[in-house]
Amino acid sequence: MGILLFLTVLLIAACGLIYELIAGTIASYLIGDSVFQFSTVIGTYLFAMGLGSAISRYLSKGLVQRFIWIELMLGLVGGFSSALLMLTFAFTQGFQLVLYALVIVMGVLVGLEIPLLMRIVQDRYTFRDVIAHVLTFDYLGALGASLLFPILLVPHLGLVRSALFFGLINAAVALWTTYLFARHLMEKTSLRAACVLVVCVLTVGLVKARQITATAEDNIYADEIIFARDTHYQHIVLTRFKDDLRLFLNSHLQFSSRDEYRYHEALVHPGLAAISAPRTVLVLGGGDGLAVREILKYPQIEKITLVDLDPEMTKLFSTQPMLTGLNQNSLLSPRLQVINADAFPWVDQSTGSFDFIVIDFPDPTNYALGKLYTTAFYRAVARHLSAQGFLVVQSTSPMFARDSFWCIAETLHQAGLQTFPYHVYVPSFGEWGFVLAGTHDYLPPASIPSGLRFLRPEGIPLLFHFPPDMAPLPMPANQLNTQVLVRAYENDWKDISH
Amino acid sequence: MSFSRREFLACGSAALIGLSLKSEKQLAGSFVNESAAAGHLLRDRASFSPPTRTVKIPVVIVGGGISGLSAAWRLQKSDFHDFVLLEMNERAGGNARWGENEITAYPWAAHYVPVPGPQATYVRELFTDLGVLKDGQWEERYLAFAPQERLFLYGRWQEGIEPAIGLTPKDREQFQRLAETFAKYRSTGAFTIPLEIGYSNKFAGLDRISFADWLKSQGFDSRLVNWYMNYACRDDYGALVQDTSAWAGVHYFSSREAEEKGPLTWPEGNGWITKRLLERVGEHVRTGQMVHRVAPSQRGVSVFAGDTEYQAEFVIFSAPTFLAPYIVEGFEPLTNFVYSPWLTANLTLERLPESRGAEPAWDTVFMDSPTLGYVDAMHQSVRSHIDRTVWTFYWALADGAPSQNRALLLEKDWSYWKEAILRDLERVHWDIRQCVSRIDVMRMGHAMVRPTVGAIFSAERAGLKRRDGRILFANSDLSGISIFEEAQFHGVEAAQAALRHLSGTK
Repeated sequence: MGILLFLTVLLIAACGLIYELIAGTIASYLIGDSVFQFSTVIGTYLFAMGLGSAISRYLSKGLVQRFIWIELMLGLVGGFSSALLMLTFAFTQGFQLVLYALVIVMGVLVGLEIPLLMRIVQDRYTFRDVIAHVLTFDYLGALGASLLFPILLVPHLGLVRSALFFGLINAAVALWTTYLFARHLMEKTSLRAACVLVVCVLTVGLVKARQITATAEDNIYADEIIFARDTHYQHIVLTRFKDDLRLFLNSHLQFSSRDEYRYHEALVHPGLAAISAPRTVLVLGGGDGLAVREILKYPQIEKITLVDLDPEMTKLFSTQPMLTGLNQNSLLSPRLQVINADAFPWVDQSTGSFDFIVIDFPDPTNYALGKLYTTAFYRAVARHLSAQGFLVVQSTSPMFARDSFWCIAETLHQAGLQTFPYHVYVPSFGEWGFVLAGTHDYLPPASIPSGLRFLRPEGIPLLFHFPPDMAPLPMPANQLNTQVLVRAYENDWKDISH
Repeated sequence: MSFSRREFLACGSAALIGLSLKSEKQLAGSFVNESAAAGHLLRDRASFSPPTRTVKIPVVIVGGGISGLSAAWRLQKSDFHDFVLLEMNERAGGNARWGENEITAYPWAAHYVPVPGPQATYVRELFTDLGVLKDGQWEERYLAFAPQERLFLYGRWQEGIEPAIGLTPKDREQFQRLAETFAKYRSTGAFTIPLEIGYSNKFAGLDRISFADWLKSQGFDSRLVNWYMNYACRDDYGALVQDTSAWAGVHYFSSREAEEKGPLTWPEGNGWITKRLLERVGEHVRTGQMVHRVAPSQRGVSVFAGDTEYQAEFVIFSAPTFLAPYIVEGFEPLTNFVYSPWLTANLTLERLPESRGAEPAWDTVFMDSPTLGYVDAMHQSVRSHIDRTVWTFYWALADGAPSQNRALLLEKDWSYWKEAILRDLERVHWDIRQCVSRIDVMRMGHAMVRPTVGAIFSAERAGLKRRDGRILFANSDLSGISIFEEAQFHGVEAAQAALRHLSGTK
């Protein structure tokens, strides 16, 4: 009995530590600021344990039975803690409230465990032995858990299933205790039935965990995440649902593989096909290689220069088979030179002129990105345009962010360029807009590369028509010192999300 | 009995935090650009060795700050090249000095120039020369990028420095009334930059009371209004409202149109202007040349620096005027020239601190801090991704007598000031100690002139501004307000006076 008893201590110690680590990790993962999250979660947890210990003195009768109930409760609460936290974050505004409530409940239950257990066995051993043995196994269990958590559990089971797994251990300990201390118990059958029920619930949870995570992440990311990495510059997430591959940068959708051809054909061909004998092309942003894929359809182009900030992004899109399939290995083309650099300083410092320039940055969601949509930037870029050249700017949605779209057009105009705004429908984005600009007039191309899935030459002039609900609005130009675009963009999206 | 368990969890958790919190970085740094020791040689009337050579030169400019460099710029532009500029420090620039490291250039003192109005003709002429003003347009890259300013108050950030959150109806009414009052003064045309344009006795009465008394007499007793007025006086004059004349306080708010464009600024602050001026007049500049004696005579004026006696016809005295009694023979002691002691520091940041709820701004101010906050040198960078930067931290030691604060500056060592700066920043940026790798501190006992009660309209100033002798005074302290535009105005005016006198004497 001795060793089995102390094995129990080891297991419950592990469970206690795991729930604490899970709460801290999820809070850091979802809210960020890991030091703050871990400190407050741990502090609250320890405080609640103290509460549990204090409460334990008021429990006097039926200690074994109470211990079993505590294990079952902890198994349920701890087991579902991960899933509950993720769902709360995805569907409610009260994440922190639930987080700390959960941490307090778990802490109180964990704080009750050891005092009760010690009192149950106190007449079986000397006080000295109880302390020594219980503590030894307590520490051992905690060590095991703290090693298992980062090495095995998080990478292989994930947070939701790790919690459920340890919930099962709590329930198993409860069941086991009904045998271990059978002679202390009056009513064994109903207790065992309860244990079995909890084990079943948790097992079902474990099996269905994938769906729980999916439901939660449905709201954060619609589909299953197949790749996520924090690079030095951004948070890259790839999701997949059946044949639909989606790229998110800092939680903003960049493309969906189902309809990105509409976006990228429209980004490149109306401008590029209108230039006679283009030889050099510059792409700013666009590290996914999808714009380059379209540009490579022009055999007369000798050199493409791609400037993207993030080397991990261009590396990912030149090596990952699923992604190189999508961009048709465009990033490996001998005609392409990839430069990983901050675009604005690069444009300032480099020389060289280009017949076509694609400016494909993430939307102006903050002041740092906003700099890449200013008159100062467009003036600097325009210095690289050849006499016959055009540049094209991805310009957000003229439908959902109408102010922003026309602000970008006005900015290009005040940078001294003639502008030719157009738009297309991309199902995963909605109505999407581009502004073509140059120092001379634009005539839609008579021919474009064959084999495009979306564009036909006769359709291109139609893209330049804006119906009344997307028609031009008078907007000021975006400048480094005003950054009116960032504010306009924020307001545009606020307006449609509420 | 579960104590042990709790203890274990605590230890485990502490270890976890320990892993994520890198131990505090070893902080490098020192005092830099020290000039007190050299200056005190003058104060203590140390004996200097006699000159071993003499140089005959029509004009000598004493001091290589904005005033001196602007005088040189004007002489050069007037095709007059027979002059030399003597600067005591190893580098010119004065309050427009700058530094550089592998991350960026950064200012040591003045870091911006408000977009000059139509009356600041010399400033506009200079900025046209430097390409800042082109075809009536201000170069976008030289205007402070958005977001420009943020204030930390009540545990959160707001845009702009004038308090805008947590205002009671009374605060709101007073801010509103204050704005109307200043607008009225603005419309009189008496409060201008440069100050000389609108200077008239019409409002001289305001110079006879303190700004604090004026605020009180006008019924401005809101705590927030008073904080903001004190902030403004500390920022521009290094003084509290009770040590500032009401005329100067009103001038601060009534001399400029409410700006939409934001000030002109550069990573190295006004050091950028110094650089450009040095490119133009650098061949005339001699650094490390402390002028220790200026001796006027009937035929001219001798200037002694190092081993040289410069025999000049005119001296443009661009150094702070308080030095004149120690240098210029026969110069009477001054009574209306009080200077504010300052401390600036440049902090090298290996990463940006976490800043919840606000994007990094150009200028960051903390409500109720004795310091003036900091300016981010990388804010004027066009880069989208910024991971390292330099912050210039400003601290006017305004509370207490200037002489006491000067003594404090000299007495305390570098680690005292380093710690004071970190503690001030720590109230807002909890992880600042993990970000900073270097703190260099510059102590300036006489950083800027203070417009005390009666100073701006003193007869003493009026006399010095006449510029009718051999020594043409030119420091911004003649205005009583230490700003770029005043320094440049007096420098240019002194140069023009020198050219006038020279052509008259021929």
